[in-house]
Order: sequence, then C-alpha cells, then structure tokens
Amino acid sequence: MKKTVKLDKDTKYTKIQELTYELKVSNVMTNKVVTVTPGKTIYELRELFRTNRISGTPVVDKGKLIGIISIEDFIKCLAQGEMHTLISEKMTKRVKTLYADEPIIHAVRKFDQYGIGRFPVIEREGGKLVGIITKGDIIKGLLKKLEIEYHQEEIHRYRASHIFEDIIADSTSLILKYNIVGKDFNKAGECASGLKKTFYRLGIQPDIVRRAAIATYEAEMNIVVFTEGGRLTVSVEPQQIKIEADDSGPGIPDIKQAMQPGFSTASEWVRELGFGAGMGLPNIKNCTDKINIESKVGKGTHLETIIYLNNNA
Amino acid sequence: MLKLNRIVKELNLRVIVAHNIDKVVSGGYASDLLSDVIAHSQKDNIWITLQTHQNIVAVASLKELVGIIIVNGRMPEDETIKKAKQEKIPILVTELSTFEVVGRLYGLGVRGIKQGVSPCLSRRIGIPQNAGQPQKKRRVKS
Amino acid sequence: MTLKEIKKILKAEVIIGEDYLSMEVKMGCASDLMSDVLAYAKPDALLLTGLTNSQVIRTAEIVDIRAVCFIRGKKPDERTIKLAIEKNIVLLTTQMPMFESCGRLYKNGLASRLVKHK
Repeated sequence: MKKTVKLDKDTKYTKIQELTYELKVSNVMTNKVVTVTPGKTIYELRELFRTNRISGTPVVDKGKLIGIISIEDFIKCLAQGEMHTLISEKMTKRVKTLYADEPIIHAVRKFDQYGIGRFPVIEREGGKLVGIITKGDIIKGLLKKLEIEYHQEEIHRYRASHIFEDIIADSTSLILKYNIVGKDFNKAGECASGLKKTFYRLGIQPDIVRRAAIATYEAEMNIVVFTEGGRLTVSVEPQQIKIEADDSGPGIPDIKQAMQPGFSTASEWVRELGFGAGMGLPNIKNCTDKINIESKVGKGTHLETIIYLNNNA
Repeated sequence: MLKLNRIVKELNLRVIVAHNIDKVVSGGYASDLLSDVIAHSQKDNIWITLQTHQNIVAVASLKELVGIIIVNGRMPEDETIKKAKQEKIPILVTELSTFEVVGRLYGLGVRGIKQGVSPCLSRRIGIPQNAGQPQKKRRVKS
Repeated sequence: MTLKEIKKILKAEVIIGEDYLSMEVKMGCASDLMSDVLAYAKPDALLLTGLTNSQVIRTAEIVDIRAVCFIRGKKPDERTIKLAIEKNIVLLTTQMPMFESCGRLYKNGLASRLVKHK
C-alpha cells in the first residue's frame, strides 16, 4: 500500500520549477510577430507562411487582435477549394491569449489545457499585441536561463574551490572567526548558517558541509544556552576542517557523562525551546572525525573537532 | 478495544517498565514538549516522545496517560525508570522514529483526536460528529 | 508526496510559499527537539513540529529541509516568518495535533526514516 516517492535530480527539477515562476512570458516570447489583416485571402496566406517559416499567425485589425489563423485552416481551405475566401471568415475568432507579465508556468498550464500550438501575447493594459509564444520558445528560454546561471555559478565555484591551489605556501589555512552572543536565543544559529553558505561557496562537498554545519550549530547552541558568550574558530585546510569553540562559561564537571546521549543539565525553559535533551555533544561527535573537549569548572570549555576532507578537490 | 500489550506485540517494542500493560488505549499523543502534553493530552492516551528525563513520568502520572513510548532508540534515565515503577507507568522503547511509530499506531486504529468531544475541532478538520461511536445494530427483518 | 497533497490531507493553511506547493517531500519527520532533527532528518523531509521559534527555521536550513508544518494551529511570530522567507522555506499550519497529522500522512503513503543511521 505504501508507495515510495521517487525523485531524480531533484535539485535541477526544482531549479526549473523556480524558473517557471521567475521568468515572465515577455522574457521568452518572440517579439517580432508576423500578422495579417482580415481582408486578405487564404491564398495570400500561403506566401506569408512560406517566406516567414511559420505555421500560424494572429489576425490584426487596426492594431487590435481579432483572431488567429493557422496552417490547418489553410489546408482545410485548400482541400475544399476555398483559396479565395477572406481570412476573416476562416480564422478562429475567440483567441486564447497570454499576458506579457504572466509567469511562464501559466503558459505551460494553458498549453496543457487547450492543446494548441501558440498563444498571442498581449499587454494587460490595453490589450495590444506584443508577441507570440510557442512551447519551443518556453524550452529555449528556460535552457538559456539555466545556461547563464550555471555559467555564473561555475565561475564562482572555480574561483573559490581552487583557492588553495593558487596559493603558494608551505601550509595554507583559511580561518573564519565568529563571535557568539550568550543567552540570545534568536541569534543562535547565525554562525552555522553563515558557515554553511561559505562552505558551499568554497566548493566543499555537500555531505561535509552538512556535517560541519550541524556540529557548528550544536556547539553554538551550547555556548548560547550555558554561557555568556564565546568564540567559534573554523580553520579550512587542504586536508581537513577544524572547528573550535571557546567559552568562559561554567565548564563541564564530567565530560564522559556529558557525552552520554540523553544526559543533560539544561533547565526546563531550554527543553521547551527544543534543545537541551542531551543530544548536543553526541551529535557533534557523530558528525565529526575527531573530538576533544577540555573543560575547567568555573573557567570555561574548549571544544575542538576535526572533519577530514578526504577528497582530491 | 486496543490494549497496550497488543501494541507492544505489533510494534515489537521493548518493555522497560511493565506495570499496567494490559490497559486499554484511548488514543495517541505525540510531543516532546512537556507543557504541550500537560495542556492537551487525554486520559489513557499513549504518549510518543523522545524525552527520557524523569519529568516525563510525572507528566504521564498527572495526566493519567496509559504509557510512554520512547523513540529513536533512546533509553530512559535510571531515575526515570525508578519513578515509572513507583507510579506504575509503563515505559516502552523502540528504534523507530516518532513519525513511523505514530503511522503504525494509526494503522492499528489509534487516533490523535478524541472523536465527538470537540465538535469545533472536529468540524474544522472534517471528522463526522458520530465517528468512533458504536453504531446501533440494525435489526434484520425476518 | 507534494506539498499540495499534504495541504489537502492535513487541511492545512499555507503561511508562506503558496507558489511552491508542487514541491515534493520525500519523508516525514516529527519532532519538537531540534537536536533530534539535526541528528536524523534527511534533506527534503517535511518537518512536523509544535515549536514555532526561529530555531526551527535555522535547523531546517542546516539540514536542507524545505517545508515545515506547524501542528495544532500554531503559528510562528513575524521574526520566524521573515527568516523563513529569507531562507526559502515553505511554512504550513494544521489544526490537527501531531499524532493525527503523522497518522494521516503515513496512511497516505509518506515514508519515514526506518533505519537509525550511525
């Protein structure tokens, strides 16, 4: 009875989804529209379709869209020998249109709904014909936008992830420092959030970014909850990431006990805020390759963790 | 009438404190916030949580809950077990997550809304007013 | 399962993110403890929680959760909503309690984390 939800390449999928909301019809439509006047004959249409390599065109009378005529209409007339009938008699009069400022997701839905090949695009104010859109235009527009975004991202990534290769030194490390304000529950998590973004920017693998972000968040939370504030120092080196958290808080009397899952000295208000269930240090331990805690009661705590970057990047 | 010991069997739970394990379950409540449980749980609900602190026993006793299922493979603290034995509150543990445990309990017929009691809430979330109440047996005409 | 289906099953109200309801979530994660979410949640899960403070959004951001549903009609304050908009996280709220919400989603086929990871 249970169905498994399968998704492939979901990040790209959502990227395209996002773009279908972001891009407007006017961004992807063809601006130069070939139009005909209703007084022309079907015969004259042939030349128009041929020279412009199109298969349908809006019918415009004094700047106003009054219909649409396609190659199918042309073929019907050809079959019935009605080549000299006026376009106004054979065109589709109730034209389905799109507004230039609609997101292209609306266009996609309309193509699905009506099963027709093209929509004239009009201005919301005044209804002036400003373009025409086909499914092909939408695909082209999306691909172009994706290409631009990927290209920009690549440049960013390249610059950041090769920082270590470009630097000539016996040893290199990038040091990030964050100050943590104690007891300010609303600000808690800002360091981890900033670190996560920075790590992505540096081109570090998602799995490692995630582990580092979780460890940092828990360390940050400990400092916020138990102390008056502290410092977070993150050193990114070619082979490893070192995260250090320092505070001058109350200290941990029994480190071994504190590492036990479920052990907590947090007060009830902390528990009601969603932390303090004795999972912080065990979480940090699970996310990192090495952990070391030094603590003196009444003096403060020094937490040091290392995550190895066993990659070639 | 679903009894706690049937849940233990169906979900393959590990029994830590076994007092009163044959009681009937009235419904389910899932929360890790003690204040929430105090405010909203109903008598004889089975409580699903990942809290292990001894306060959970006090809350369960106060609200006359039928038992506590601790999820994610967490073990209650010694103090918690001691208190639970005193208060005769069953404690069960499982490796499963809250979402999974609740899903399986739901499949056994345990519900999270006391049906027919809060007409306002029931209406809002679309439960028929007479749901859960025993239906009158129709007489078969002979 | 899409957020649209979830909205229907839970008779939920969309607080922010009406445009993203076609987004898929892979599993359900029900918790009021953020350390638990940090430890076990997989990316693209739906987080069901009774907590409404800003740490819920921070946690979601850290573990790549993109949709949160508050239970029992709870609604976050403005600060939390603002943070969610900034981090591109969809927020829903349902009148149902946690138990009923999870039960209905599970019954309708939303997966859960079965195996405890390391």
